[in-house]
Amino acid sequence: MPDFSPTQYAIPLFVAAILIEMAWARRRSPEAYEPQDTLTSLAMGLGSTIAGALFGGLSVALAFAIYELRLVDFGDQWWAVWWAWPLAFVLDDLKYYWVHRAGHRIRWMWAAHVNHHSSQHYNLSTALRQTWTGSFTFGILFALPLVLLGFHPIMLGIVGGFNLIYQFWIHTEAIDKMPRWFEAVMNTPSHHRVHHATNPRYLDKNYAGVFIVWDKMFGTFTPERDDERIRYGLVRQLGSFNLLWSVFHEWVGIMTDLWRAPWRHKLSYLLREPGWSHDGSRETSGMIRARWQARQRPIAPAQADEPVARNPIASPKEAA
Amino acid sequence: MEIDPLLLQFAGSLIIILLLAALARFLKLGGTPALANEEEAARAASEVEDGFEAQRISIDRKGAAALVRDANGRIMVIKRHGNRFAGRVLTDAARAREEVDALIVDPSETRFGAVRLSLTDASYWADAINRL
Repeated sequence: MPDFSPTQYAIPLFVAAILIEMAWARRRSPEAYEPQDTLTSLAMGLGSTIAGALFGGLSVALAFAIYELRLVDFGDQWWAVWWAWPLAFVLDDLKYYWVHRAGHRIRWMWAAHVNHHSSQHYNLSTALRQTWTGSFTFGILFALPLVLLGFHPIMLGIVGGFNLIYQFWIHTEAIDKMPRWFEAVMNTPSHHRVHHATNPRYLDKNYAGVFIVWDKMFGTFTPERDDERIRYGLVRQLGSFNLLWSVFHEWVGIMTDLWRAPWRHKLSYLLREPGWSHDGSRETSGMIRARWQARQRPIAPAQADEPVARNPIASPKEAA
Repeated sequence: MEIDPLLLQFAGSLIIILLLAALARFLKLGGTPALANEEEAARAASEVEDGFEAQRISIDRKGAAALVRDANGRIMVIKRHGNRFAGRVLTDAARAREEVDALIVDPSETRFGAVRLSLTDASYWADAINRL
């Protein structure tokens, strides 16, 4: 049975790539990095490995229990079934798309995933800004169908590790666009910049891990535009580099809302989309986008997604 | 003495993290942006809240912060956060007080913190914020 953690082996590559990107930033874009932000992001990455080791046991145990009920048996030497590996990789990436989408659309899941988005920067250190609290969500449920199908939890862990390694390099502004064929199929820095953007047109788009085709298939794909500067982070920026606040702020928000909300609304503060409120005092990403679209209409009816350059009034570089 | 390999790995990772952050500082990455004029402050406000149209704007003398007000009377405080800007639309929980050469605006959100601004029209803003 393979005992292999690809992400551990990738750590030296991560460090080398960050060094190269810092050298690029020094010459071309010093504002791409912020030392305090980098420290917070990397500390969150280190903390996430510890949190995973401490609290991931229940999910692993559940996966192994479900594996006993598998529908297809690849045999004792399941790792020797070569074609199961690429198949597992693709299906795991499909699973990633959905768990990631849930991570943005269900506040309970968002409480853990928001950590990855709370930097106002987009560089390779942002890639390592990972959650400490993923084990306290129900994300594991998305993987169970694959386990039930017969994919060994270790196989899924390994392909999932390669998936995460792939996603590391796309967290950069140093790469503009990849070749057209690559952009069409794979997740790229350009596609993922859109995902990290807070510009209304980009909110809750491009959930893909490795293959961008899932977003195209399920209607969540939006290409990056050259005529609009991207803003990164959250629609309500943290305004703090405090490590613990960065990790736990949304959990604190949920707890506060659960305590204060009327009984019939309490569950909604856990299960509805981030920004939802029972009295309409906050805004969801959908509301922000709708408000932005409404502002576009008097100028360019029903063409909110058309290039800003076609708008004769707005500045072509206006951030929407 | 035998050291736990996991502890060693943690200590090694921590050292690398601190070195990378120190390197970012050594390379002078980041910078200190300033709000140079009303146009920049208005743009920062519209980035804090999409569509926020600033009608009255006061910028801190060093450009590190600003107060803006829209046509509906909503007031936003903007502060420099690292080499970006972050802000809050103030609620009735916000408080402002004048000091010798500064206005202290407390949005009543501990983690965001109070914002110190050096303004020429501090009294106007203190009054407006405390009347929210």
